[in-house]
Amino acid sequence: MLMDSNRIEELLSKYWNCETSLEEEQQLREYFKGGDIPEQWRETAALFRYFEENKKKTLNDVAFDAAVIQNVQPQKKGKLVKLFYNSMRIAAGIAVLVMAVWFVRKEVRDTTPQEVVDTYDDPQLAFEETKKALLMISKSFGTAESQAKKLNMFNEAQEEIQKKDKGKNSKL
Amino acid sequence: MNLESFQTRVLPVKNKLFRFALKFVGSEEEAKDVVQEVFIRVWNGREQMNEVQNWEAWCMRITRNLSLDRIRSINRKQTHPIEESFNVQHEALTPHESTEIHESMQRINQLIASLPEKQRQVIHLRDVEGYSYNEICEILELDMNQVKVNLFRARNAVREKLMKINAYGL
Repeated sequence: MLMDSNRIEELLSKYWNCETSLEEEQQLREYFKGGDIPEQWRETAALFRYFEENKKKTLNDVAFDAAVIQNVQPQKKGKLVKLFYNSMRIAAGIAVLVMAVWFVRKEVRDTTPQEVVDTYDDPQLAFEETKKALLMISKSFGTAESQAKKLNMFNEAQEEIQKKDKGKNSKL
Repeated sequence: MNLESFQTRVLPVKNKLFRFALKFVGSEEEAKDVVQEVFIRVWNGREQMNEVQNWEAWCMRITRNLSLDRIRSINRKQTHPIEESFNVQHEALTPHESTEIHESMQRINQLIASLPEKQRQVIHLRDVEGYSYNEICEILELDMNQVKVNLFRARNAVREKLMKINAYGL
């Protein structure tokens, strides 16, 4: 389709003033698509070609439609999967909590001094151990007693001296 | 509206929505995400669609709003031009001519990218997508006057720069 340059000139001036209709703008685009554009419109032609090129840009993804359809479709069998995922999420949460509690407990146990704990389950063994402990105490007592006896010698000596002193006094 | 009519009527506008979203978000992946979300919104609001006079403009408006949300959420201002080069093919052109055309395309691309956001949107909707003024009003939620003023400013800014390029070969 060939249009004379006067017509184009007229359309262009309308275009710059925003007075063209959509059809007229389409005519301009068609005109500038072709070759043999006069020098004075070279850049204008580039502008209209730019618009055309822009329009060619498409969403280049074959899987897009399918993805949309899948997204908008009411989910039927997805319910079970959803339930599974949800329960897994809850389970994961609980697992984290349990681990946290366990670690905290461990930490607390490690830092606080060990309490006295009953270590014997077998009564016989417990009895033996008790006996051993008591024997140890009694042995210590025995040693202490023999030492105390030595002290007693001083006592006796003192009493002897006191007796002699009394005897002397009564004689006087 | 059932799934079938959704597929045949609504899905085909995806390219328009995609191009429009691309004007905002700048990256193809983001734009694709936006369009995906638009379709989910449209499907969820399909009951309203019968009341909407121009559902395509309605979809475009949702695209615009979601794109703006996305820009806000990633806290990024889109000022850089679209990076993809244009594949200009013309049988009759010599390699030299086609390089020249390619260069001028890049220049125009930068030129339009440097326009204020509203002007960029209006010129895209009018000159690339071929929407009527009424539809543009609906999409951008502007009144007729604002649409015309923005288009006028956009076209004249472009024209002025083109004339400079022509005159000084810049």
